[in-house]
Amino acid sequence: MSALSREIQQRYSEAFSSYLAGGDEVALNQAYELGRKALADGIGVLDIAITHHNALDAVIECGSALARSVEIAKAAAFLAETLSPFEMSLRGYRDTNDRLIAMNETLGQARAATEAANRELEAFSYSVAHDLRAPLRGVDGFSQALLEDYADRLDDEGRGYLKHVRESAQRMGRLIDDLLALSRVTRSELAREQVDLSGLAQNVAAQLQKAHPGRQVEIVIAAGMVVDGDARLLRIALENLLGNAWKFTAKCAEPLVEVGITSGSDRAFFVRDDGAGFDMAYASKLFGAFQRLHSADEFEGTGIGLATVQRIINRHGGRIWASGEVDRGATFYFTLGDGAAQP
Amino acid sequence: MSEKIILLVEDNPSDEALTLRALKKNNIGSGVVVVRDGAEALDYLLDRCSDAADLRAMPQLILLDLNLPKIDGLEVLRRIRADQRTRLLPVVILTSSGEERDIVQGYGLGANSFVRKPVDFVQFTEAVRQLGLYWLIINEPPPVSWH
Repeated sequence: MSALSREIQQRYSEAFSSYLAGGDEVALNQAYELGRKALADGIGVLDIAITHHNALDAVIECGSALARSVEIAKAAAFLAETLSPFEMSLRGYRDTNDRLIAMNETLGQARAATEAANRELEAFSYSVAHDLRAPLRGVDGFSQALLEDYADRLDDEGRGYLKHVRESAQRMGRLIDDLLALSRVTRSELAREQVDLSGLAQNVAAQLQKAHPGRQVEIVIAAGMVVDGDARLLRIALENLLGNAWKFTAKCAEPLVEVGITSGSDRAFFVRDDGAGFDMAYASKLFGAFQRLHSADEFEGTGIGLATVQRIINRHGGRIWASGEVDRGATFYFTLGDGAAQP
Repeated sequence: MSEKIILLVEDNPSDEALTLRALKKNNIGSGVVVVRDGAEALDYLLDRCSDAADLRAMPQLILLDLNLPKIDGLEVLRRIRADQRTRLLPVVILTSSGEERDIVQGYGLGANSFVRKPVDFVQFTEAVRQLGLYWLIINEPPPVSWH
């Protein structure tokens, strides 16, 4: 028991003794006022409750000795009244607890609903993978069969149409594949580990060079970028960002792509190229699925890559943004959230 | 020359026609048996070929789709591997799905290979050509009297 509680208890006892001995209520009121003030000043409710309890015991003892029921009742009522903050706190705790239980239930229901929705999404993705690609294969395959077996009965225009049919079917095939990749990024568990981002970028760059041996692109990657994240997802993000940089520098004479960390207080990773760039007026559209800022003739693409990257960065608790200028290149910046060891 | 049979398990008529076309174009179309669902596939493999004399009619290669009516492809594969007469048959899963789950389950049940059908028919034909070349010519099949 604290010194303050002891002092209050002392004052209570004295006030009681004097009241029960025939004194007035002033001392009693003063004693309780002290108790109320102590409570308001932050003395523990449990502490004050014990103090009151001890005081009440003393009152009852005195009371039975003196058999003065009216005074005892009055003193007890005082105690009860000063205990009301305690009771209110208790009621507050109980209400909070009830609300927490209710919230937990709601959360539980929401989680069950989310899990059900995820399962549905998975089933949907699965049927997209399986059922939507099959008819496309038919469209593409039989068009090719026509081109092979009946080419002599079609003129150039007819053959041209069939080529368009095939191109469209193949494009839709790529769209479906990219959509699936996007949904997979959302569905898969985030497995955090230490990831050598520099090494990963080197790897992706080497892969790009191998896939496009005819292109000469200088890729400069800062060394020692190590983060805490999901290696598989970060690889997909880098593949998209570096793949874009590679693609949009196709018309540059000596393309340069850089991967690094910004200096200054707000440090972020970046992937910068000096390629086609984009108009900042459309920056908000960059990360939307199916949003494209270039025509398919100019640069091939499905418009799902950056949406996928954004989801990956968001899943890491990070942020992604971009700056650019038409024909002056583009820079994509990203952070990986507090959980990731920042450079 | 003994006929080398391919058992094509495929329910989609377009895919069937395209696969047959791709096989034919690569001169491997002669001994293809087509069944259109999982039950038919099991009937062919486990009922018709139950006598030792019929073992020669066993396919040298099974091209198995996964999404099949009645009995799905993975279950067909499980029963092929569970039966003494068919457990060693080369099975190539040839499907639209590229889902990791299907690939893992397919190999887990003992698939010899997993091939995702490309949408591009030129690529598809090339995939079928390589499959035929590998499994019918390069690969040494399990002997006829293995059990």
